[in-house]
Amino acid sequence: MTGKNPRTEPDEPGKPGPEPGAPFTPVEEVIFRRRSVRFYRKSQVPEHLVRRVLEAGRFAPSAGNAQPWRFVVIQDPAMIEEMTRDVIAVCRRVMRMADYTEPGMQRKESVAKALQRILPNMFHPIPLAAMKLISQGKLGVWHGAPTVIALLVDGRAPGKPFLDIGIAGQNMVLAAHSLGLGTCWVSFIAPLAMMPKWKKRLGIRHPYKLATSIALGYPRGEPDGMVSRETRAVDWHGEDGKRRVVT
Amino acid sequence: MEHLTWKDRRHIESFLRIGRDVVLGRVCIDGEKCSGCGFCTRACPAGALELADRKARMAEGNALCFSCGDCVAICPEGAIDLEAYLQFRHFFRYLDRGEAQPPRRF
Repeated sequence: MTGKNPRTEPDEPGKPGPEPGAPFTPVEEVIFRRRSVRFYRKSQVPEHLVRRVLEAGRFAPSAGNAQPWRFVVIQDPAMIEEMTRDVIAVCRRVMRMADYTEPGMQRKESVAKALQRILPNMFHPIPLAAMKLISQGKLGVWHGAPTVIALLVDGRAPGKPFLDIGIAGQNMVLAAHSLGLGTCWVSFIAPLAMMPKWKKRLGIRHPYKLATSIALGYPRGEPDGMVSRETRAVDWHGEDGKRRVVT
Repeated sequence: MEHLTWKDRRHIESFLRIGRDVVLGRVCIDGEKCSGCGFCTRACPAGALELADRKARMAEGNALCFSCGDCVAICPEGAIDLEAYLQFRHFFRYLDRGEAQPPRRF
């Protein structure tokens, strides 16, 4: 399968690519249709499909081709359940400290805001609201997915190894959706990295750090599809030396 | 390019000031088309949807809909549309966002 590309002359113009307005390519279709899946069938993902997904991760670009990832596949339902229980327990503890939305608990608002200032990503209002739902059992952690892939990162790698993990993970996610599977990025696995039990079981030990996880399974219903989302302003420094903003 | 003002950076949004500090995402559900299958309530990460009288609706209270569109995509009847997008007003304000559009073919 590996081998040389056909020979091209050095000055040959590149392929023109599709005309303006041409239909989406299969890759674009998968990118645009991918939605996070939070409702899975119980049936397990067969090993060959999981391996196919991992293979897409293996061929992700990384700084200096260091490939600073280690993937941990978890298909043991008892283990996923135990992980879920421990994440819920942590969410409950945080909520006892910082849930100011319960009646009569306004005094906790200062705790929440201090946490948000110190760790704005972890205690951003969205994960904070999610922690409340998780602690109440209204939001799953891995949403009943039969397979979880934990993504570990080699902390010694060049550049920004966590970024490389994101790239490898998204390769796997897109491959999975193209195979008819569903995925959801689940970073609520993070608290497990603080527990000796999970450090041992997941192999989180120098040089590895726990980065995030991906839930994988067959979706119930058809969750993938295109939706609207806000356009983003992009600065464009043109060939004419002028800057414009496109959306 | 939008940036935060110092005033914004000082003010962290509170869930006790929804509407003022936080504008929640919102979907509209076509009651005619809704078959009450409940897929959207399972797909919603915010617990913002519920079934009442065999029809889906946005839950009472201030569930934090962050306009992900998972309910729109999963609805087999095409009964759901995104109507408003989550926005924070100060510290966590989303920057440089324009009107919503589906994937575009340029």
